[in-house]
Amino acid sequence: MASKFWTQGGSDTEEEETDIEDEIENGGAGETTAAAAGSRYLQTNASDSDDSDGQKRVVRSAKDKRFEEMASTVDQMKNAMKINDWVSLQESFDKINKQLEKVMRVTESDRVPNLYIKCLVMLEDFLAEALANKEAKKKMSSSNHKALNAMKQKLKKNNKQYEELINKYRENPESEEEKFEDEDEDESGSELEDPSQIAAESSDEDDEGEDMDDDDADGAWEKKLSKKEKLMDREFKKDPSEITWDTVNKKFKEVVAARGRKGTGKFEQVEQLTFLTKVAKTPAQKLEILFSVISAQFDVNPGLSGHMPINVWKKCVQNMLVILDILVQYPNIVVDDMVEPDENETQKGADYDGTIRVWGNLVAFLERIDNEFFKSLQCIDPHTREYVERLRDEPLFLVLAQNVQEYLERIGDLKSAAKVALRRVELVYYKPQEVYDAMRKLAELSEDGEKDGDETKVEETRGTSAFVVTPELVSRKPTFPENSRALMDILVTLIYKSGDERTKARAMLCDIYHHALFDEFSIARDLLLMSHLQDNIQHMDVSTQILFNRAMAQVGLCAFRVGLIAEGHGCLSELYSGGRVKELLAQGVSQSRYHEKTPEQERLERRRQMPYHMHINLELLEAVHLICAMLLEVPNMAANSLDAKRKVISKTFRRLLEVSERQPFTGPPENVRDHVMAATRALCKGDSQKAFDIINSLDVWKLLRNRESVLEMLKAKIKEEALRTYLFTYCSSYDTLGLDQLTRMFDLSDAQIHSIVSKMLVNEELHASWDQPTRCIIFHDVEYSRLQALAFQLTEKLSILAESNERAVEARTGGGGLDLPLRRRDNQEYAAGTAGGGGGRWPDLSYGQGRQGSSGRAAYTGGGRPLALGQASRDRSGQSRGYSGRAGSGMRGSQMDASARMVSLNRGVRG
Amino acid sequence: MATYDLTPRIGPNLDRHLVFPLLEFLQERQLYPDEQILKAKIELLNKTNMVDYAMDIHKSLYRTDDVPQDMVDRRVEVVARLKALEDAAAPLVAFLQNPNAVQELRADKQYNLQMLNDRYQIGPDQIEALYQYAKFQFECGNYSGAADYLYQYRALCTNSERSLSALWGKLAAEILMQNWDIALEELNRLKEIIDSKSFSSPLNQVQSRIWLMHWSLFIFFNHDNGRTQIIDLFNQDKYLNAIQTSAPHLLRYLATAFIVNKRRRPQFKEFIKVIQQDQCSYKDPITEFLACVYVNYEFDGAQKKMKECEEVILNDPFLGKRVEEGNFSTVPLKDEFLENARLFIFETYCRIHQRIDMGVLFEKLNLNYEEGERWIVNLIRNSKLDAKIDSETGTVIMEPNQPNVYEQLIDHTKALQGRTYKIVGQLLEPAQAQPAR
Repeated sequence: MASKFWTQGGSDTEEEETDIEDEIENGGAGETTAAAAGSRYLQTNASDSDDSDGQKRVVRSAKDKRFEEMASTVDQMKNAMKINDWVSLQESFDKINKQLEKVMRVTESDRVPNLYIKCLVMLEDFLAEALANKEAKKKMSSSNHKALNAMKQKLKKNNKQYEELINKYRENPESEEEKFEDEDEDESGSELEDPSQIAAESSDEDDEGEDMDDDDADGAWEKKLSKKEKLMDREFKKDPSEITWDTVNKKFKEVVAARGRKGTGKFEQVEQLTFLTKVAKTPAQKLEILFSVISAQFDVNPGLSGHMPINVWKKCVQNMLVILDILVQYPNIVVDDMVEPDENETQKGADYDGTIRVWGNLVAFLERIDNEFFKSLQCIDPHTREYVERLRDEPLFLVLAQNVQEYLERIGDLKSAAKVALRRVELVYYKPQEVYDAMRKLAELSEDGEKDGDETKVEETRGTSAFVVTPELVSRKPTFPENSRALMDILVTLIYKSGDERTKARAMLCDIYHHALFDEFSIARDLLLMSHLQDNIQHMDVSTQILFNRAMAQVGLCAFRVGLIAEGHGCLSELYSGGRVKELLAQGVSQSRYHEKTPEQERLERRRQMPYHMHINLELLEAVHLICAMLLEVPNMAANSLDAKRKVISKTFRRLLEVSERQPFTGPPENVRDHVMAATRALCKGDSQKAFDIINSLDVWKLLRNRESVLEMLKAKIKEEALRTYLFTYCSSYDTLGLDQLTRMFDLSDAQIHSIVSKMLVNEELHASWDQPTRCIIFHDVEYSRLQALAFQLTEKLSILAESNERAVEARTGGGGLDLPLRRRDNQEYAAGTAGGGGGRWPDLSYGQGRQGSSGRAAYTGGGRPLALGQASRDRSGQSRGYSGRAGSGMRGSQMDASARMVSLNRGVRG
Repeated sequence: MATYDLTPRIGPNLDRHLVFPLLEFLQERQLYPDEQILKAKIELLNKTNMVDYAMDIHKSLYRTDDVPQDMVDRRVEVVARLKALEDAAAPLVAFLQNPNAVQELRADKQYNLQMLNDRYQIGPDQIEALYQYAKFQFECGNYSGAADYLYQYRALCTNSERSLSALWGKLAAEILMQNWDIALEELNRLKEIIDSKSFSSPLNQVQSRIWLMHWSLFIFFNHDNGRTQIIDLFNQDKYLNAIQTSAPHLLRYLATAFIVNKRRRPQFKEFIKVIQQDQCSYKDPITEFLACVYVNYEFDGAQKKMKECEEVILNDPFLGKRVEEGNFSTVPLKDEFLENARLFIFETYCRIHQRIDMGVLFEKLNLNYEEGERWIVNLIRNSKLDAKIDSETGTVIMEPNQPNVYEQLIDHTKALQGRTYKIVGQLLEPAQAQPAR
């Protein structure tokens, strides 16, 4: 009897087998409980054997197969022993260990089959023999010898787990033998004896034989999954008063150990754990189990590319909220993932005074939840109702994030709080005020509905009489400030104060994006320049680079909206230079003709796509970019009509224009590009009205909030550029040109025309001067003789030569002379300003930049990762001179000083 | 006209004592009700030790002879503390007042400390007491005493932080005593320390620079050479950045200095860009004037702004400094500013015109015809202007100013030589350094 009890396997064996690490601690705990509540032990065992025995009809075949396999392996081992072949022995040993696992799973018993133990004993003996036999050892081949040693180690390790059983076996090989035979018979499929055997077994120790019958009556193999659940339910429901911390803990360990194994149902595990949370005895234990529930819920996710089922996600969020409830209710519980807490830490009850440590990482969970949310939005087709439904879950997450952040702030973990704040920022930053308001309203609405749901949920938990009742302490309703800016400010300030580098950089980018969205161009620009993000963005991770691209695009749009054409073009031109806008903004995959992507790359790329609702409208972006380019390029082309190659502001635009000019005839414009090209043709002729009409007919403008004012601005700009183009083109044909005539032609006020023309005169773009009494422009003809023209060309070539020399030296001396190009640029500008006439201002500079940019880009395409925007901004600092002053020179505020110091240090080293 | 008053923006960046002159000025200009200013003064004095002065103001503000009890208490407290500090610093003060003893001091700080300790039993405690005493003196309004003690303290002090704050104190004291030359020296010393010292955070450094610039306004607009030096200081990259980030209102002073100074053209161009860029963060008539003339070429607007500028200058405590000459007082800067501003407009106007109607021109320049003609004739005579007056039609005709082709060529190539030399120098530098090693 006693032996039978033992062989059936006590709690010890079960623990040992399932959870090797827990072996030591559990030994003690298990033993004490075994003494205290022996009857319950029996129960557990009984139900377990119920499982295996009750469903014998079906299980047998699977079980048989496993046992057969095992037996054959044992035979193989025996053979190997005979010929002293340690290599094959080792293989067989590994195999049998694997088989053991399977057997255990199939039988769902916690006892190790005697066959296995017998085999172990046999091996041990043989090993000892082999080791003792020194001569034989010497004779062995090297591989054999190696295997022997490996075997020695393995066996030693392995046998430790089954030490007790082995000892039992050695003590009493007879009974084991007997049993083994029983098993053997089982294996051989003689079912005749079996029922009696089982009956004997069960009647021996089962107090609840009827259970088995129940099961038999049910007989539903198909329901196996739920059965387990039921069993557990029963097990705990029987005597709620008898459930102790240990029971729950044991079961918990057991379930957790099953995680990740083949054949463990993921949903099932979640359910089991959820059930356990209801019966948890102490808050800390409940917390611990809840953490596992969430982990298990994450496991439900089918694969890397797929997303977590939405209902599971929601439950997950609810669980997190409960965790927070507990944490708020018991401030002495500390969640930590650095220290491995004591095994019995969670045993400490609610009234325990000291701190209780529970393993877990709130931030990691939260981030995972956010990622899953993001992923689900990536996967769901944006044009379906499902997508909208999914988007409605956002406030749910925001509540959670808000609460987690508050909690972390309260316990003073500001670094983590900053991480959480970043997640919130990333959900808010791209929302215009309207969308933000909508979300706020939705949150308020859903709050009512949710409340009902919550109440019923609470009742549910009461129905199953949770031991640790957690009141809802944490608010389930998000609180949003009126203005999204206010929210951003709060969050971003926190992050700037205590975030790490990446968090800060991302928050900064979001901040920039948000400012740009609200038409605060100067603030966005200052932030961008002050943070020096453009310089080191290339060293950051891909998703941050995408964020940077998005921010740049948005800043460009913002510049356009507030009427800063050159700045807008500067921001957007690089984005369009490679023709891979979609890819750079992660808003779709663009096919490249020249190089095929590997499936791996494609998968990666798909994974970093932005969800649809975050997209920046590409048509609008393209329209803005091309219009900016048009406004800059058309007068520029007119000014340098003789040598068109000379000074190109936008290569992309030039190329498009060439293509459209090559067409035999032009149809009515269809897409954005056609529209802009048609407008360009009108503008080239100085026909501002037609150009504006064409642009106006684009339907992307309806996406703009302040559409009227933007179009108004655009109209004014087009008129202005038309005037400039007209003057450039026809200045050679006129001797004088009346102000009144221009006013009539371009529908601009006198003062405006005067101002525009004066600007051109001062910049020496136009060789003319005003005749004030008659209100007309008098054009001066400046004709150089051939010799003079050649001399000018020569000087320009000389300066290009000097420039390239300088660059070469710079490259050799390590490019330290940061101040050099800057000063040079100033010189040049100054020289150009004073000398004038020559027309070509700093052509060499643009030449240099072009080269720089292209080489950089080439390097990047090789890596499969685009982003040349860092250069964009560098180029920009050159192109729009308004920036160069700030971006280039010391820059403002904090980091600037640091960088300046670094430069001077360099110089010191060189000098 | 209080709209363009910068006192509320400048005030926070000054020492309490330095705000008094500003308030005095405002009181004089009567931009704000008297009562408000007096209250502000009492507010200021509350944290200082000039209790007697506060009492006086209180009396004149409420027209009573009674003084609130807390002021009386404070007076007693201040006097007691003064006594205590005086006693603590007495040995050192006695030593310093003895010229023979001071002779013994040398340039070597360590030696001095040692010597003081050995022979006069003056240790670090006494030196520290001297600092406290000087600070207290300053707060009592005894600036000259404070300046002297601080000077001597700096000679003896070894703590660089303390030394720095002593320097600030010295600067404030000199400014308040209106010793502009010495103040300027202190200012430069302080600037060097700020630029070279490594601050715990770059923000602190920026803050120090901002303070320095604010304090320097007192000096630059009173010192003879100040107007060029203000450009030297403010227009440095680091300082300009600080202005742009934290104190854009200082642009007014820089702009004024640029307008008044004729010889700063190259930097002026850069500055115009800064003005253009920062129009969103700060503007007042002076910067707007520059924007009109150099960015938008709106001469009518410029003329309007010029009139506003006059008001602004008169009401600015730094710019509107009065000089009493006989019976009437003038604001020299105003006249100078207007003269130069007019010239700016005219210059730019001439650059883009060939023929100008004098009547219209003078209107733009706020001049009457006679005066204007004289002005232009003078310009032509001084060969500042390459033009002729056609008095029959009443126009000025500019001589065509086609740049000479040869001049242009020379301009193009002039820089090349220097640059090439520089490259060669750069190349040779390491080559020469190596043999030396």
